[in-house]
Amino acid sequence: MNLERIPNEEKLSLCRRYYLGGFAFLPFLWLVNVLWFFREAFLKPTYTEQPQIKSYVKKSAVGLTVWVAVLTTWITIFQHFRAQWGEVGDYLSFTIPLGTA
Amino acid sequence: MNTSDSEEDSYNERSALVQCESPTIPSYNQDHDVSLPQQTDTKRRRPVSSGLDEPGPVERERASTPDGEEEELTLKYGAKHVIMLFIPVTLCMVVVVATIKSVSFYTEKSSQRLIYTPFEEDPNSVGQRLLNSFLNTIVMISVIVFMTIILVVLYKYRCYKVIHGWLILSSLMLLFWFSFMYLGEVFKTYNVAMDYPTLVMIIWNFGVVGMICIHWKGPLRLQQAYLIVISALMALIFIKYLPEWSAWVILGAISIYDLIAVLCPKGPLRMLVETAQERNEPIFPALIYSSAMVWMVGMADSSNPGSADGRRRNEGGARAQEEEESEDDAAHGRRRRYSAEEDLEEDRGVKLGLGDFIFYSVLVGKAAATGGDWNTTLACFVAILIGLCLTLLLLAIFKKALPALPISITFGLVFYFSTDNLVRPFMDSLAAHQYYI
Repeated sequence: MNLERIPNEEKLSLCRRYYLGGFAFLPFLWLVNVLWFFREAFLKPTYTEQPQIKSYVKKSAVGLTVWVAVLTTWITIFQHFRAQWGEVGDYLSFTIPLGTA
Repeated sequence: MNTSDSEEDSYNERSALVQCESPTIPSYNQDHDVSLPQQTDTKRRRPVSSGLDEPGPVERERASTPDGEEEELTLKYGAKHVIMLFIPVTLCMVVVVATIKSVSFYTEKSSQRLIYTPFEEDPNSVGQRLLNSFLNTIVMISVIVFMTIILVVLYKYRCYKVIHGWLILSSLMLLFWFSFMYLGEVFKTYNVAMDYPTLVMIIWNFGVVGMICIHWKGPLRLQQAYLIVISALMALIFIKYLPEWSAWVILGAISIYDLIAVLCPKGPLRMLVETAQERNEPIFPALIYSSAMVWMVGMADSSNPGSADGRRRNEGGARAQEEEESEDDAAHGRRRRYSAEEDLEEDRGVKLGLGDFIFYSVLVGKAAATGGDWNTTLACFVAILIGLCLTLLLLAIFKKALPALPISITFGLVFYFSTDNLVRPFMDSLAAHQYYI
């Protein structure tokens, strides 16, 4: 889908839907929103709907950053402490590496 | 592994290379870059050959004669369109070959078989093995034919909801279940610890965004990437679960079916394309990879009678693997928007059916898995690309839906068997005797 070809109201609606959809544990959707609408929001000459698109893109970026921080923290904790957690660690693991503790 | 029938359907739908002709617009003149905005829809099922146009300046003559005669002196496709198809096909094959070479799961033979290939291949007796592989092929092809016919019937009777539901189920299975399996195997291969919460997040995000991009609206590049990924996943499943000899026979049989189904007047894929053309609807966009965003000029104003003929469909997908029911459905799901503007004619690009991607990748993947060394794999890869070039050339000449499978698969099979049996021993001999040519 080419953003050039759709009217501004639809762009706004699309951006808003992507933003709202991201609340369903979908940081990837927020990432797509930010990347896709970045040019529309910041690099294009101003048009009526642009401030709203800009706000959605910014909020998506904020949400994305929060999720990235949360996931990075969790992954770091898990990888570091998995062996020490014993049974709980195994229960949480999808794949357990062979040849290590 | 349980295979679903819907996948087969999708295959049929997917293996077509379709070209949509766009009416010529007087404002375009000697536009070298823009080939006719013919969209080649490649539906898996429909054999579509997109013709390749000669590279170089493409001149278009105005074709707006009132009596409807089109004088098209220019070929519709240039080198650009070839490249637009080469890149995704290559990417798909690269993903499949890389996975085959690194993750051993997909080359391990399991005792599980698809229900579509019920006859076991006995390695002890050549005759028995050959017979069983032919029987397997017959079963598989008949399932595919059956699925295709059901799909065409559903389409003819406008049961769009059923088709959409089917496609959505298919793509759900592909995007969630198969990618889950794939990730699991990759993590096991690289000995990485992965926890369930992170895994659930990854699969959930991947799957949902994939569904959104394929069935609804999303960035073009992301949608193309998802289509390539699901084609690769499907090809991997085929490589794993089809028995050795059956796979080769099935590849050959599918090409023949593709040819028949797209070119014969009563062929299911051809009927599908024609019905879609009559109704001025895009053909199941979700099953088709499109290389450019297509905006169809409003059909009402079309003054080119010839434009409707230009559909090429690739039927690659006759194989609609039953496993991939969703694929079919996905292909049907999207509809393109019709623009009524006449002034802007966007380059429609070329469309290739996902079934074509899948079967090309199956061929190259099997060559990588069983072929011995990289010579064979590269030879098959080159053969398929040459076949695709020729198909595109034919598409430009004939301007109608053409099967994308036959030429490429034939070349691929010929190259595989000859490289494996002739070139490889020769190169080994040369290397052993330290004789460099």
